[in-house]
Amino acid sequence: MQIEYIGGFQVFLGVLARFWPVWAALAIVLVASFNFRKHLGLYGQLFDSGVGIAGVFICLFWMFTAIFATRIAPFDPLSQIPVMKDALPGAIEPTSKQIYLFGGDKLARDVFSRMVFGSQIVLIIAPAATAFALMVGITLGLPAGYYGGRIDAFLSFLANLVLAFPVILLFYLLVTPGIMDTPIPYAMAGVFFLFPIIFFVTLFYTRFKARPERLYLLVGLTLVLGGWVYAGLVFDADPLGIVSIDPNQLNIFVAVVFASSPGVFRIVRGLTMDIKTRDYVAAAQTRGESPWYIMLWEILPNARGPLIVDACLRIGYTTILLGTLGYFGLGLAPESPDWGTAIKDASRLLRSFIHPALPPTIALMSFVLGLNLLADALREQSMKD
Amino acid sequence: MNETVRNATAREPILEIENLSISFFTRAGEIPAVMDFSCTVMPGEAMGIVGESGCGKSTVSLGIMRDLSNIGKIVGGRILFQGKDMGEMSEAELRAVRGNKIAMIYQEPMASLNPAMKIGKQLMEVPLIHDKVSKEEAYSRALDMVRAVKLPDPERMMRSFPHQLSGGQQQRIVIAMALLSKPALLLLDEPTTALDVTVEAGIVQLVKGLGKQFGTSMIFVSHNLGLILETCDRITVMYSGEAVETGSIKDVFDRMRHPYTQGLFRSIPLPGADKNERPLVAIPGQLPLPHQRPKGCNFGPRCHHFVEGLCNAAEIPMIPVAGHDGHFSRCVRFNEIDWAALPPGAKAAQEPVKPGTPVLKIDDLKKYYRVGGNEVFGGGEGRVVKANETISFEARESETVAIVGESGCGKSTLAKVLLGLETASSGKVVLGNKEIQSTGIEARDVETVSSIQMVFQNPFDTLNPSHSVGSQIIRTLEKFKVGRNAAERKQRMLELLDLVKLPRPFAERMPRQLSGGQKQRIGVARAFAGNARVVVADEPVSALDVSVQAAVTELLMDIQRKSKTTMLFISHDLSVVRYIADRVVVMYLGHIVEQGTTDQIFSPPYHPYTEALLSAIPIADTSVVKKHIVLEGDIPSAMNPPSGCPFQTRCRYKSQVPGNLCEREVPPVRDMGGGHQIKCHLPQSAFDAMEPVISLGKGAAPGAHDITPEA
Repeated sequence: MQIEYIGGFQVFLGVLARFWPVWAALAIVLVASFNFRKHLGLYGQLFDSGVGIAGVFICLFWMFTAIFATRIAPFDPLSQIPVMKDALPGAIEPTSKQIYLFGGDKLARDVFSRMVFGSQIVLIIAPAATAFALMVGITLGLPAGYYGGRIDAFLSFLANLVLAFPVILLFYLLVTPGIMDTPIPYAMAGVFFLFPIIFFVTLFYTRFKARPERLYLLVGLTLVLGGWVYAGLVFDADPLGIVSIDPNQLNIFVAVVFASSPGVFRIVRGLTMDIKTRDYVAAAQTRGESPWYIMLWEILPNARGPLIVDACLRIGYTTILLGTLGYFGLGLAPESPDWGTAIKDASRLLRSFIHPALPPTIALMSFVLGLNLLADALREQSMKD
Repeated sequence: MNETVRNATAREPILEIENLSISFFTRAGEIPAVMDFSCTVMPGEAMGIVGESGCGKSTVSLGIMRDLSNIGKIVGGRILFQGKDMGEMSEAELRAVRGNKIAMIYQEPMASLNPAMKIGKQLMEVPLIHDKVSKEEAYSRALDMVRAVKLPDPERMMRSFPHQLSGGQQQRIVIAMALLSKPALLLLDEPTTALDVTVEAGIVQLVKGLGKQFGTSMIFVSHNLGLILETCDRITVMYSGEAVETGSIKDVFDRMRHPYTQGLFRSIPLPGADKNERPLVAIPGQLPLPHQRPKGCNFGPRCHHFVEGLCNAAEIPMIPVAGHDGHFSRCVRFNEIDWAALPPGAKAAQEPVKPGTPVLKIDDLKKYYRVGGNEVFGGGEGRVVKANETISFEARESETVAIVGESGCGKSTLAKVLLGLETASSGKVVLGNKEIQSTGIEARDVETVSSIQMVFQNPFDTLNPSHSVGSQIIRTLEKFKVGRNAAERKQRMLELLDLVKLPRPFAERMPRQLSGGQKQRIGVARAFAGNARVVVADEPVSALDVSVQAAVTELLMDIQRKSKTTMLFISHDLSVVRYIADRVVVMYLGHIVEQGTTDQIFSPPYHPYTEALLSAIPIADTSVVKKHIVLEGDIPSAMNPPSGCPFQTRCRYKSQVPGNLCEREVPPVRDMGGGHQIKCHLPQSAFDAMEPVISLGKGAAPGAHDITPEA
């Protein structure tokens, strides 16, 4: 059977057309943000510079792609249509008359659809893992910087230990089947996922100790929500059956959190050491505030600028890490559409066909670039105040 | 002042600035920083530029150097240096002038020196680059200059790195570097603000001496009128980007013809001001933002001589004052104003407050720190820093006790011990009838915590930038268990805002929307939130502008008067102390060297350190005659204090005590009568022979001139 092709320009138009929900959402959000930028605080200030607008644009683009993935992708990312094996970009699938816009890979799947669905995996794991790494880093970095002395020496030593260990080797260890069968990953997940709960309970307890009605509400809410998610993620025992995570993904998640929280720890520790010398911290001490109140309510809010910038860069870093993991075939299922796995699959045939490798590579690169632009713009803006 | 130098060299002016205007171009548009600024500096003359922060005084000096970063631009007028228009000079010509014919000295000496280069090498660069001399020649010139700035052991200095020198020594090196190229004009931008007063006095004397020795013209930028009086021949007062008054020191200080200048003088505590009989008069309002300047006179909205339709009709030029040589004022009404009248709303004399029973008793307090040594791996002999040594004094109800001393004297440690941030090594602190010296802040009950509170020094640091003003006060009330519920606390918070004379809507604002003075008011409100019995005020006004200082000082004293609070006023500024304090405690290197009532401290006999401190304070009053006592060297490190008397290394009376007693023994506390205590070995005869440091010369009674006219 002869496969028909459409021209390059039509491919281009086709891609633009497939992304129509993203364009619509982007138009709405960007126009609204631009018009109300004076009232949107730091986010609004991003629209003052070209770099900021570019960063927001690229990040939002991938976010909406992940959200509307099912609507954008013409094919199921896992379905194989044998006739389309290694088809060149623009090939028309004979039965449905849909187009393989970026061609087919060696297993005859649609490269375009896989790229679109790959964004989902990246955009769920990378920000979430970064958020957990932030929680762990903050909860440990604050006391290390605030108390100094032995606590600091001990925690910093642990952080250095993790940082000194080769990251790739660490991942190999954590994701090898032998280790996966042991309870180690679940135990680590159990520890890491405890941090957000501890963090929020301490946060509310220190603030509202004197106002029980608010305290019980907020702490109760934290415990119920946190406990629910915790049960679902760590024990896979969500009573409602909504929250659950694939063991492979949990593993990757834990590995990423483990590898990037020492970095956050160091930043928070450094910022805390600087901020604790300010007069408002002394003022809080002289009115008898507890150390954890001072750390969480006096110091942490003022460390937010550098932390937000770092979080942006860290999401990018995690994205690359996920790509690396996928490339080495670690963790995720072999047929998973994530960008790293796709690049690995395509790289085997790079000499004969280059088209399956390019879309996931460009996607990965553009998303990380977008995050870095965003971080740059945020840094620029926070310096201006 | 240096009339002889001027006459000998009076030819054409070194520097002529004509109608200079400088603007900064930012995202928000053009922001004019300096408008229509003119001044002339003759050879050998020192011109002072004085004004508050944001008035454009530093921009003028940077404009002369043409160092306005990439957003600053000279938009009008011209600068003639030795008759040549600097605007027409090429980059290469400018480089030949900068650092060679015009040299600049900045505020932070450490930031002006390259920390990675030895002093000698940095100094030698100047002749090497500008005069292209040989290395040996450069070295010998540098060495001579280090000697000229009176640094000890010049050869060793040349081999040191900047961090091995103290702040005062660093600033002397910066001055040496500036003078090495024998500049015709020296720009000094707040050269002593970062230094201690006794060190400052040394630098000021040096700068004056060198100016005479080398015949250098100087532009001295400062916010301190006293310093200008001591160093300059003429003065230009700036306000909101404009020069408002210029003239000789004598004219401007004694016969000022601009309401802003008068306001400045009325808001600084000069000898003769008194918190009860003659309170300070603050300038109302605040400096307008550069893009919100009013039409006509910029000072109009704050001026009580303001006349609608006259002052805000058109831009006002500099108007010469008839009968005064070279005296100009940017005021259209200066001939109609009665310069002796007090502004309406000035406070009349108040009854002095009677101090009550002792509230705070400190007895033989010691605080030692152990430093060095590693926390985990041990090792390293820890050294002991004696931050406070045998501190004993009392403070009574509604009394203001000033604690005076320079950096490293232990006054901040004392405050920390009082507030429970540190616990004492030995001795007693009794608040009311409770011993609190070894109770850390977390172990203190709410009542103790709320009854001793603090006002912090740095207004930009005292409020947490992340929380709204109201919520910060409410949190304090919550901690002090004031009010039963949120509504009551909110009400109390609004009352506190009233108390510190801030509008109630300020509760919703974030700290960055407040000016320095307003932030400090919030700091005061917070300290008094729990009906504190003792308030420790750590230099509460030293970081504020002069006109705001007066307002905050008055506010602090008003509240104290009403609530009968005891105030411990920590300061290094003896002028403020003289004005505000009932009793004074002078500290040096952890010791109380002298204490007594304000009158006892400010009149002989003095402790030798108090005497030097008094003489070091610049006083902005032409009628005051001061003895000049400049201390040798710097304050010793508390890590390595001298043996015996802490002050013996810098004391000028040391030779009068026989048998090296000063080096061997810590002097006993001597009672000079009436509660006046001095810690010194000097014999009684030496004390009796002491003369007053500050006297009002020319037989003038305090306040006999324009500044304090009602006497």
